[in-house]
Amino acid sequence: MFQSSSQKQFWTFTSEKDIDVLRTEANGRYIEQHKKKTKGQDVTSFFLSADEEHVLCRHYEHLLRDFCRRFEPPMPPAVKGTACAYFKRFYLRNTVMDYHPKFIMLTCVYLACKVEEFNVSITQFCANLTADQERAAELILVHELLVMQELDFHLTVHNPLRPLEGFLIDIKTRFTSLSNPEQLRKPADEFLQRSFASNVCLLYTPSQIALTALVTSAAKQQVNIDKYVTECLLSSTDKKELRELVSTIKRIRSMVNNIPPLDIEVVRSLEKKLEQCGNPELNPDSEEYKRKQQELLNAEDEDFSLGISSAQEEENRQQEAQMLMSV
Amino acid sequence: MEQYTILGRIGEGAHGIVFKAKHIESGEICALKKVPLRRLDDGIPNTALREIKALQEIEENPYVVKLREVFPHGTGFVLVFEFMLSDLSEVVRNSEQPLTEAQVKSYMMMLLKGIAYCHENSIMHRDLKPANLLISETGHLKIADFGLARVFSNEEGRQYSHQVATRWYRAPELLYGARKYDEGVDLWAVGCIFGELLNNSPLFPGENDIEQLCCVLRVLGTPSENTWPGMEQLPDYNKITFPENPPIPFEEVVPDASPEALDLLKKFLVYPSKQRISAAEALLHPYFFTEPLLAHHSELPIPKHGKKVRHRGQNPKEYDIDVPLEQSLVDPDLLAQFV
Repeated sequence: MFQSSSQKQFWTFTSEKDIDVLRTEANGRYIEQHKKKTKGQDVTSFFLSADEEHVLCRHYEHLLRDFCRRFEPPMPPAVKGTACAYFKRFYLRNTVMDYHPKFIMLTCVYLACKVEEFNVSITQFCANLTADQERAAELILVHELLVMQELDFHLTVHNPLRPLEGFLIDIKTRFTSLSNPEQLRKPADEFLQRSFASNVCLLYTPSQIALTALVTSAAKQQVNIDKYVTECLLSSTDKKELRELVSTIKRIRSMVNNIPPLDIEVVRSLEKKLEQCGNPELNPDSEEYKRKQQELLNAEDEDFSLGISSAQEEENRQQEAQMLMSV
Repeated sequence: MEQYTILGRIGEGAHGIVFKAKHIESGEICALKKVPLRRLDDGIPNTALREIKALQEIEENPYVVKLREVFPHGTGFVLVFEFMLSDLSEVVRNSEQPLTEAQVKSYMMMLLKGIAYCHENSIMHRDLKPANLLISETGHLKIADFGLARVFSNEEGRQYSHQVATRWYRAPELLYGARKYDEGVDLWAVGCIFGELLNNSPLFPGENDIEQLCCVLRVLGTPSENTWPGMEQLPDYNKITFPENPPIPFEEVVPDASPEALDLLKKFLVYPSKQRISAAEALLHPYFFTEPLLAHHSELPIPKHGKKVRHRGQNPKEYDIDVPLEQSLVDPDLLAQFV
């Protein structure tokens, strides 16, 4: 249920400004920590700005959607939606300078496959990549827990795809005066696909986005479904709520229709810049990174034996042996 | 991790070891389920993801075990659950006497409330069995182990794995290899658990998958397209045939049960999944409204460390609900001189 979901509670923001603030904070934290590395160079020319980061993110989101579209075997549409949402949520609190989006993007898709119960093995998954597949598998698995953690383990994503399906079924049952409701499907679906490139999933509910898709599709097909919206869907709401909904729909539509195009030259120059300001400690190819991983591995076994003396432990074990549990 | 002190080992869960620990700040006792990621080919196991997914999105319910938090630890992560003393299989096994009808009723009520809640939230558990029904120190029952739980949708053609549920509690459609099924698999399992509580022994204890089907068929009778529409389309239907055999009346299978209990049991254990009584409906069944009424949780057996399960309130004379309240109250005048 969306109403009780972690998405509504933690990942739906009231305005684009809130989102910008988060991104700017993540960017600022990094610059503050790594100031010394500029070696006298100007901070703005050395580090990526929050806006520049966002351009890079959008570029990798584009690659993510492309990767999903070409994926073999074909994946259910929800996987793409969920992966996009993960990616966006991840970079609300993290910077591309810490975690390169090329790894995060693949990890988001891999995690989304599992969560949406589209079961592919890591080998099968990486067969969709042209580069060194074994290394890619390793990198995805290395980042999997990190991504999950940065999502606060909130794995369930409510996509607008199911509400759209719901609206179509509802139209077929309650708004029978419409002769061919199926003609609304394709343009509405295209709208939703485009919506993944925008921030709407961080601002609006899935059903609002789906309804916008439906209304936009109807306008395109020159079908009038106003009566469906006002009489079937919102018969019990008052004028004020209706006006609010209309303005929400307008905002969603304008956000989806006005996604600024990406300039590939700009993206290339930003990637160059990222090479110089990225964090080597978190780059999986660096020695520093490998050493830290080994330390973590060694430390974790100790934690579970600390805080208890061995005699006490033995006593506890005896007690517990008699009350077998299967939590 | 710094927030917890490990108190001991509880056992091995479906994924990794389970520890008993104390949350330092609140002093609460928890069960920590450590999910290691080393040597796992495909990364984080699906069972762990499902458990997080299912338990995080539903609001708190008294009959579903609570996932307190999840945190990363080393290369893996830890799921923190509320600590539960025992489980229903232990309680049944260790009871000195069989459960009373009122106690069975009480367990069934808690189980059904939990299941009704899961199904309302579109979650099918898929692995209900007494060992997954945990018992708290106050005697409450909570559903646990959502490692096989799935969010179900009514979209057409969604296929699921049939290799779910522990054999004795596996619905007949799963035994026939069905890949499309619904929350009815949970309701079948509820029926099996109910029968087990009434009989004090498992209802269909098959040694293997084939024998499991035999056990079910022996009691319910050989199904036909009449009693089970659509059965001939099940994947494994043609792989095995059984000799015709009439059903055994449930009155003989569960001889000591009351007529209401039998009636409810029969409504769970039917071949067509859609005909099984839903958890919400079952809660309104006359069984729950006929004497003896369900036991209060303080009258349920409480598992004790290393001892036989102690029964409380077994003696009906301990208190009598028909005695007027005035008789059990202390006369304030008698106390007055001491105040």
